[in-house]
Amino acid sequence: MVTTVAARPGFLRRDDLERLIALLQEGGRTVVGPTVRDGAIVYDEIREVADLPAGWTDDQAPGRYRISQTGSDRLFDYTVGPTSWKRFTFPPRVPLLTAGRSTAGNAAFDSARPDPPRLAFLGVRACEIAGLLVQDRVLSGGPFVDEDYRARREAAVVVAVQCTCSGKTCFCASMGTGPGVSGGHDLVLTEIDGGFVVDSGSPLGAQLFSRLPITAATPEQLASAVGGVAEARTQQTSGVALDGIRDRLMDQLDSPRWAEVADRCLSCANCTMVCPTCFCTSVTLASDLDGRSTDLDRQWDSCFTGNFAKVAGGNFRSRRQDRYRQWLTHKFATWFDQFGSAGCVGCGRCITWCPVGIDVREELAVIAPPYGENAQAAVVAGSPGVYVTATVRSVTPETADTSTLQLEPTDSGLLAARPGQFVMVEQPGFPPLPISISRVADGALWLTIRAAGPATTAVIALRPGTQLGLRGPLGRGWPVERAPGRDVVVVAGGIGLAPVRPLIDALLRDRSRFGSLLLAYGARTPADRLYTGELDRWRAAGLEVQEIVDRAGEEWLGSVGVVTNLLDQREWRSREGIAFICGPERMMRATVSTLRERGIPRRRIFLSMERHMECGIGLCGHCQMGPYFICKDGPVFAVSEISDLMREGI
Amino acid sequence: MTIDAGRRPRVGVVKLASCDGCQLTLLDLEDQLLPITERFELVEFPEATSRRSEGPYDVLLVEGAISTPEQAEEIVHLRARAGLLVTIGACATAGGIQALRNWADEPTWRASVYPNPDDISSLATATPVSEHVHVDAELRGCPIAPDQLLELLTALRVGRRPQLPDEAVCLECKRAGNVCVLVAGNAPCLGPLTHTGCGALCPAYLRGCYACFGPREQPNVDSLHRWIATDHSDEEADRLFAGFTAWAPPFQAPAGRALPIADAHAKEPDGA
Amino acid sequence: MARAVTPEWHSALRSAPSYGRAMGDQADLLAAFAGSWFGEALPAQARMRLVECASLREYPTGAVILTELDETRVFGIVTTGRVGLRVLVPERGSVTILTVEPGDVLGWSALVGPHRSTSTAVALEPTTVLAFDPSALRAALSADDALAATLYPRLLEAVTRRLTATRHQLLDLYAQQAEAVPW
Repeated sequence: MVTTVAARPGFLRRDDLERLIALLQEGGRTVVGPTVRDGAIVYDEIREVADLPAGWTDDQAPGRYRISQTGSDRLFDYTVGPTSWKRFTFPPRVPLLTAGRSTAGNAAFDSARPDPPRLAFLGVRACEIAGLLVQDRVLSGGPFVDEDYRARREAAVVVAVQCTCSGKTCFCASMGTGPGVSGGHDLVLTEIDGGFVVDSGSPLGAQLFSRLPITAATPEQLASAVGGVAEARTQQTSGVALDGIRDRLMDQLDSPRWAEVADRCLSCANCTMVCPTCFCTSVTLASDLDGRSTDLDRQWDSCFTGNFAKVAGGNFRSRRQDRYRQWLTHKFATWFDQFGSAGCVGCGRCITWCPVGIDVREELAVIAPPYGENAQAAVVAGSPGVYVTATVRSVTPETADTSTLQLEPTDSGLLAARPGQFVMVEQPGFPPLPISISRVADGALWLTIRAAGPATTAVIALRPGTQLGLRGPLGRGWPVERAPGRDVVVVAGGIGLAPVRPLIDALLRDRSRFGSLLLAYGARTPADRLYTGELDRWRAAGLEVQEIVDRAGEEWLGSVGVVTNLLDQREWRSREGIAFICGPERMMRATVSTLRERGIPRRRIFLSMERHMECGIGLCGHCQMGPYFICKDGPVFAVSEISDLMREGI
Repeated sequence: MTIDAGRRPRVGVVKLASCDGCQLTLLDLEDQLLPITERFELVEFPEATSRRSEGPYDVLLVEGAISTPEQAEEIVHLRARAGLLVTIGACATAGGIQALRNWADEPTWRASVYPNPDDISSLATATPVSEHVHVDAELRGCPIAPDQLLELLTALRVGRRPQLPDEAVCLECKRAGNVCVLVAGNAPCLGPLTHTGCGALCPAYLRGCYACFGPREQPNVDSLHRWIATDHSDEEADRLFAGFTAWAPPFQAPAGRALPIADAHAKEPDGA
Repeated sequence: MARAVTPEWHSALRSAPSYGRAMGDQADLLAAFAGSWFGEALPAQARMRLVECASLREYPTGAVILTELDETRVFGIVTTGRVGLRVLVPERGSVTILTVEPGDVLGWSALVGPHRSTSTAVALEPTTVLAFDPSALRAALSADDALAATLYPRLLEAVTRRLTATRHQLLDLYAQQAEAVPW
């Protein structure tokens, strides 16, 4: 239907966009595009450029959508809103036929003839083109064609817009459907300062292209357009691991996690209604009082409604969990079997418009994680099995019994350590020590060590220039990639602040990606606090730091008590939150309780566990906790993975 | 329902404790009223005609909750004389707004309103008709939707099951193209829990649904309550349910938490 | 974050107890009460009754609100600021064992015999307390069984939280943290 025609990308000035609209309106065509209504950017009739949402941008999160004015004159600095183009190609209600019955018992059936309005879609995003192509396959790619859909599709002109920003719920990049437009369009625009880089993608597009005041695009303009799309791509921090998802999901039909989602799911059908590819419908009847003439219409329906799977004598999907499983497995698994692709295009609407913010990316990560994610830590560059030498660059005392060593390893692979990983430290003559990495900076690994026995006492007494052996980096670290867009709570107790410091470094490096950041730090006495010189710098960088000690003298005017006191009295309850906790196990458990009361779910509370380690790579058997080896399956775990294991003796 | 082919079905419309709004909906079917009366015989409909009948009825539309001992007796007699008994409106299907007194101490309540409380005979509770007799069909709403009433009458004539879909208001909102007030406007809205039928009226005017059509099948009250409580408060979330369908079983628990009114009037029996 | 202690401030600790400065009207009191952790779980009419015995009091930094071993002067809910609870340990001096943060209660001993404070409560920064007069409060509770039945369980909850936290502090968990395998 649409073929790519070679055309030089050109430049259209912003002022000339009005010409494009006028061209599209020729012959009585109605232009449909984005416009502001009722607190959202929806698709509706566009008569002139002034109808477009100039200067508007959107802010999306699970269950939350807001728009705001930036004051710029940019026309497309937002992503997708509640309407999808499905509204125009596959409308909510379409007449099918009229059935008549005469008093003599004869029947007559008069099918509706498709009479689609002539429309031009202005502002179709890459994910939306993918959605249209998916529905093309479903509704007109098989042996039985939906004539109304086909007529509407053929009557519509597609003017695509490449995204130059992504929302927090966008994940087209991971689905392979965007943000760049690679086909399915008549024209494609990419907004840059002062106008648009324009290209055509079909004979109709080429015609429009030739009638617009388009100039040759300069290299700078082209680079700006390419850069904008690249920027949109990098802004997406979360997605779906598509590889093998069909099999992974179908393997989990009996997972207990479906019931957990069902606890939250309202089966309200909003996700299916906003989804650009969902196509389930039912037939409604409207009869005259005598039943002589009945209009049958086709109406949007959803597999989440109660009667969807009802038959005489029963209902195949009476439970919410069965309906949710049906939707998710259809979208990400059986759709492949039926239509050769995923049903999802990564537009994120189902996440934003779910009234309780259920996020399919998260659900898929929990229900059908990529193989091996739970089983083994991904092998990172470095040296897990063989000691490499590292030279002590400096030893800085933090408290009376704790110091931080900066070590320069001969293998720079160790510097790729992720927050939360650890190394095995070997001093000749002493047993190996598992030590969490407390920072990677300036070409060195920083280890904060407490003198708790002869080996640790010896390590912190080393002089600069001495060498040690290091193996690592080891273990599964803090899942920082789950945090963007969320409110983050970090709770540390005593020396537990050390394994958490690289996490804080990572959060503050990219501060704008996260919601609120809180560090609740508990120590024994004021003198036992670590990194006191850094706290103000952290505060200045946007981390709220609250400290508390077990007891203090009169000179301490800060809080005294247990670390959960810092969380107890706070106003916030955050269903969007994510938490990272490190400290004595008992303290971690009390903190988990408090955070659960505050609304953070178990699957988003992470702990760093500790056990006796000899090898650090799952071969000596010491560090087992239930089915896990703390050294390679951990030390970081989600509470949902280990909650039934946190008992005496496990 | 077996009706003599030759005669029009006999229809009665009666009221118990209610505001009459649902009966008015029948009269609001202005254009259809004459065709309806040509096909149905309205034998009892005090709101519209002075014609009276004690029954029997082929179809009896009952508006209002059971609020007095007399009504509790009357509904049993009516049931015996009705072929099909259809309750119409939030009062008859869920107890209505008057059911808020079910959480209070009724004698105290009565004493705080009336100067001579002993003159009033009322039950401790206002309850839906279905808690007293078997009900054949329900039309939800406050008031009911004219389209649904028409569909019910048409279905009776044609002989098919009336199309009164039991699904969330959200589907109607999305079909209409309404922007979700909960997600975009942070307005507390009970639409996801509420039986559809009103055409998503309130959200079309950017107002949250307050569940006047009552709960749909399997409403996940706890989940939506938790969500609304996080942005607003537990108290506000509870209060949302203490409305026209508070007594519907899925809504009773949160509604009850918002209604500690047992003693509110205890201090002032003489109406200070 | 710890701040320097000035000499004048320090001597104030040994000085006379402070009764704070009264402020606010009935509506403010009710709002403060309903918004606190302690008060939000009580029924509205219980709050209305209790607030008749209360006033909002402002204490400057260093003000001594309760004195260890003296009769408890105040049962209150901290609304802003921070109150340090201190005990005197021979040879060690004054040790802060807990700080009471906004929303939490102070002086629960006012409601439990022998009505004597178990620690000295000092405002560590300008602090506002929704303060209940102990004898008026005790009188109201003994006259109204229903009111007592709503308050005491909540008080027990508050004290239980305090006890659980104290146990954690007692365990001295941070002292046992070891990063290494001791030999």
